[in-house]
Amino acid sequence: MRAQPIHQISRKGLTVWRLYGVIQTLALLVVAGLASYGTYYFEWPSFIYWIAAAIVVLGILLLVLIFPKIRWERWRYEVREHEIEVQHGLFVVKRTLIPMVRVQHVDTTQGPILKKYDLGNISISTAATVHTIPALVMDEADRLRARISELARVAEDDV
Amino acid sequence: MSKEINRLHPVSAIITSLKALKSMILPIAIIIISNGFNFSLNFHSEHFWQTILLFGVWGGAALLALIGGIIKWRTFVYWFEDGELRVKYGLFVKKKRYIPFERIQSLNYNEGIFHRIFGLVKVQVETAGNKGGKPEVELTAIRKAAADAIELEMRRAKNEDAQQQLEQESTQVIKEETVSTPMIYHMAIKDLLVLATTSGGIGVVLSGLAAVISQFSDIIPYEAVFHELTDFVKVGVFLIALTVMFILIAAWVVSVVITLINYYDYTVRIEEEKLIITKGLLEKKRITLPLNRIQAIRIVENPLRQLTGFATVVVESAGGNGENGNDKKITLFPLIKRQACLQTLEQLFPEMNWHPAFVRSPKRARPFFYRVDFIWLVPVIGACSYFLYPYGLLSLLLIPLTILLGVWQHKTAGYQIDGKQLAMQYRVFSRTTLIMEKKRIQSIESTQSYFQKRKNVMSIKATVMSGMSGTTGTVPSLEQQDAETIFSWYEH
Repeated sequence: MRAQPIHQISRKGLTVWRLYGVIQTLALLVVAGLASYGTYYFEWPSFIYWIAAAIVVLGILLLVLIFPKIRWERWRYEVREHEIEVQHGLFVVKRTLIPMVRVQHVDTTQGPILKKYDLGNISISTAATVHTIPALVMDEADRLRARISELARVAEDDV
Repeated sequence: MSKEINRLHPVSAIITSLKALKSMILPIAIIIISNGFNFSLNFHSEHFWQTILLFGVWGGAALLALIGGIIKWRTFVYWFEDGELRVKYGLFVKKKRYIPFERIQSLNYNEGIFHRIFGLVKVQVETAGNKGGKPEVELTAIRKAAADAIELEMRRAKNEDAQQQLEQESTQVIKEETVSTPMIYHMAIKDLLVLATTSGGIGVVLSGLAAVISQFSDIIPYEAVFHELTDFVKVGVFLIALTVMFILIAAWVVSVVITLINYYDYTVRIEEEKLIITKGLLEKKRITLPLNRIQAIRIVENPLRQLTGFATVVVESAGGNGENGNDKKITLFPLIKRQACLQTLEQLFPEMNWHPAFVRSPKRARPFFYRVDFIWLVPVIGACSYFLYPYGLLSLLLIPLTILLGVWQHKTAGYQIDGKQLAMQYRVFSRTTLIMEKKRIQSIESTQSYFQKRKNVMSIKATVMSGMSGTTGTVPSLEQQDAETIFSWYEH
């Protein structure tokens, strides 16, 4: 049995994901609200109220409470001398191994919400694939980017 | 070094403008058809202005296309200088592009019908860093002799380079033998016929037919048709079946003819570490593929061909142009006997193992291959049985079929590690064998669902570069131990 990669992403990442969940739920709320209004106005069957309410409650439960938690607990990464290993997933656990020699460049990105929490995403690009480690503390992300590009330069390419 | 300025052949002006016109045909056809052919040049007709407008716009566009073609031909020049191919074009904005010969990966030739009449050829110059599948430089039409001159110049530049290196090292002597290029594969007419008749081109033709019909939908008087259709049903289902059969057969014949024309005289040669593929009856194509750009080799056997022992070999190549421009999967052997293909591949890539012994998926993993399908099967069958009551029950047959397919997929799933090489085998319908070297694999991913975890099985995905993006091979539900073996093999 392979050991999991050692590092977890920042605890603040969980908060940000919950925030995303809240935004998504708000979008659901708007839809549900419109449906309810339509039901009231056009006298559609009343079970539509219940469906709308159920969708919002499910949204809060899954998108805000449960999914971010599972995802956060699952997320692991590890940058070793010769390779980067990443683990993530919700229902399906995905583990990816990227050798340093294959890394072409590393980016960090930061949106407004992430900036508020001083977090950043880091994307590792190979010739064929892009792998993102989300919601790292910005300092950590910058350090990691520097480290990966350092290691990737050292690693000898034989393509 | 010659600094002679070369131009394109005048015919290129026509070819360029025709190409521009071709992309305008469909919209115009739609407009004409949707107008219901109500055109009139009679000033008093209500359609007069409409007609003038349409033909005016169309004529203007055609004129522009022609002028554009002529400008391109007049302004486009290329020459050789300092071991580079230099191209200059543009009327107001002059563009220059210099490509060092040693950077050129391949020269692809393409002869359309127009080219063949005048003995011309379209040359696409490709380097490793093609953007978005477009060739770096495209010479629309030049004389064959001129194309040969480019190739000669390129070879000379590369040789000079090699000689300089030789002088520096001054140890080895490389004998430059101009060996007649050995042919490694030529498709016999018999194979071509088999290819044409068993190819999936029929689907393409059918969808094309559907598209055409949908274009006509505006002018088909549906009510009348449906009225007649009820009569039709009364006459008998037999007639409908016959019509459908007839359409299918016609579509199939068309696809056979298209395949025959496209793949006629399909030949693969090897020359200086490059594969050269030539094909085509009306439109001749020549594709060059440097061996060192090959990332992985894929042997595909669809069920029909697997039964008859035939296979298709596809090459995943980094950069370079595929058959459709942005598609980087190059078909190496469209149809070949499996045994012959393995022998040929062995000659081409002697360092790889072409007879892998696969480690298969464990028996307890079998349900994973069909269980997921029940998620969509159950509602579909339920709906069919309920709404189409007696005959809908036939949809129950889907269950054994799905399970059988799953079992078949399970039997096919396997991997093998041999030194520096990973071989994967799997099937959706067609059996795919993907063979790649470790140094070509960009990343490896394992996936495991909650249920797979309980049974200790794991799926493995390996991605290699293919053109601009990647291509991924997936072996589902291997023994977890095996999946981890692949991981640690890849690590070191």
